[in-house]
Amino acid sequence: MIRFLLLFSRQGKLRLQKWFTPMTEREKKKITRDMTTMVLSRQPRSCNFLYWKDLKIIYKRYASLYFCLAIENGDNELIALEVIHRYVELLDKYFGNVCELDIIFNFEKAYFILDEFLMGGEIQETSKQMVNRSIEASDMLQEGDSSEWFEVELFG
Amino acid sequence: MSDVVEKTLTALPGLLSLDSLPGSNKLSSSSKLGNLIRGITELTSKHEEEKLIQRELTSIKEQVSSPNTSMRQMKELMVRAIYCEMLGYEASFSYIHAIKLAQQGTALEKRVGYLAVSLFLNESHELLLLLVNTVLKDLQSTNLIEVCMALTVVSQMFPKDMIPAILPLVEEKLNHPKEIIRRKAVLALYKFYLIAPNQVQHIHNKFRKALCDKDPGVMTASLHIYLQLIEENPEGYKDLTTSFVTILKQVVGGKLPMDFNYHSVPAPWLQIQLLRILCLLGKNDQSTSEIMYEVLDESLRRAEINHNITYAILFECVKCIYTIHPKSELLEKAAKCIGNFVLSPKINLKYLGLKALTYVVQQDPKLALQHQMTIIECLDHPDLIIKRETLELLFRITNAQNVTVIVDKMLEFLRINKDDYTTIDLVGKVAELAEKYPLIHVFLSFGGPLLPENGKKIVKYTSHITTLLYMLK
Repeated sequence: MIRFLLLFSRQGKLRLQKWFTPMTEREKKKITRDMTTMVLSRQPRSCNFLYWKDLKIIYKRYASLYFCLAIENGDNELIALEVIHRYVELLDKYFGNVCELDIIFNFEKAYFILDEFLMGGEIQETSKQMVNRSIEASDMLQEGDSSEWFEVELFG
Repeated sequence: MSDVVEKTLTALPGLLSLDSLPGSNKLSSSSKLGNLIRGITELTSKHEEEKLIQRELTSIKEQVSSPNTSMRQMKELMVRAIYCEMLGYEASFSYIHAIKLAQQGTALEKRVGYLAVSLFLNESHELLLLLVNTVLKDLQSTNLIEVCMALTVVSQMFPKDMIPAILPLVEEKLNHPKEIIRRKAVLALYKFYLIAPNQVQHIHNKFRKALCDKDPGVMTASLHIYLQLIEENPEGYKDLTTSFVTILKQVVGGKLPMDFNYHSVPAPWLQIQLLRILCLLGKNDQSTSEIMYEVLDESLRRAEINHNITYAILFECVKCIYTIHPKSELLEKAAKCIGNFVLSPKINLKYLGLKALTYVVQQDPKLALQHQMTIIECLDHPDLIIKRETLELLFRITNAQNVTVIVDKMLEFLRINKDDYTTIDLVGKVAELAEKYPLIHVFLSFGGPLLPENGKKIVKYTSHITTLLYMLK
């Protein structure tokens, strides 16, 4: 199971945080600090996996953003790496050639996509179409408008 | 579908003038979030950032408490509050308003409200109880998108004591004609199972229905629950082995819609879940294992493509083969697979290969011997993680001949390692080895490099050192 997902820039600024287990604010801050220090100090040619307490940290850098995922000990590291990649592909499809700025200025959209894709710390294997359609349809939601015909769009 | 497309296209120009669009260049200059972000990036010191954010938070606080704020404005305020919290500043005054937004807002406002709730609160928060009514109302809504939103938030957090109130509503969604709702309902029940297993005991047969659902997404969601159930009680589910094997056969054989492919691999996450389940079912059970051999062979064969995800599946396959009742042909193929991993120039694969060897070495020590040159190379690898993994492997293949060398290497590693948790783990291992093979010089090395460098560690490891001292008397 995935415990948390963090996105941060090369300077260590947090861009997205998702916690799949209850944590206090202090714990979250400490973990974020630890993650940024650990991941940013890794050499470029090292493997993408780290140990931290009793969890395994999987990280990958895409352009100027570091994606950092924590999994439990029994989980498969390589698949976690692919979870990160899949999320990036979804973001890319939605934003069209996504860059860090897209995520900074539209972080709530990034969260919506994440929620459709990872639930309760587990990935949902849904067809790519389903994830994209549900994001796009919800995007079309206009305040005050009746959203019935948007339902048709979503549910085909 | 075409008139829906037309409606969409005619609505687009109206939507494009809003500030909620992808891409920062399309962000309108009046967006307060955009201004805030730009404001922060222009500042140079942490102190200035704090001042700016505090000003922002005071302004947000005033506006959320004012009775004149519309839901649309509230949505915008929530987004800024989320941003401030993300940067590490406390904005707990906004939590109650997030719940209000989810309750009173419509469509996108509701969505942002629910998002804010899922980011601000957690299971043990007292305000979560206030969410229950909103969720109950939305679950009964005729608007399917609202139902989806409610189910999403329920799958993320829900107060344990209120589960009986919501359970019947979620249960009935299991039979909904739309698969997205069925899938989300299954995931909500998974969450309930995790936090309060006795509350969902009576609906186990409904999980079975979800397993046989014609939509692969719903079926995959049910596997999360099954993995959990089988971990706790493998005996109770052996009768499902044939079903799982059949599903895996169909997936590997490419019978799922093309849409579920990820880089030409059919439904990889589904494959891995199934492999894990089969691993648990076949352990120590020859008859059950025999059902799986064919499909495991097929999975090994099919995973030919050179992509990380294929290797991930292979790793799970290998793990499964080594856990269940052994079959020599499969073991041979799996050993070859591990060999390929260890010899791979890609560092991530080397890591996986070492990990697999560690897992496998008890059953098949010859395999480690076969690759001992590579293992020795890995000991001197610049990457500490690979080194650590190698030491982990070596720990399992120590015998009277090589123990001194291995312990020496471990001590050497301890000198350069900075992570407390790993150090404690390794010292424990060294102590274990020293107990098994009495080694006087280990005590001497202990006294040497560790003490002067890391003073505080003395306190922690005194217990280990006293054990050694005691042994040497």
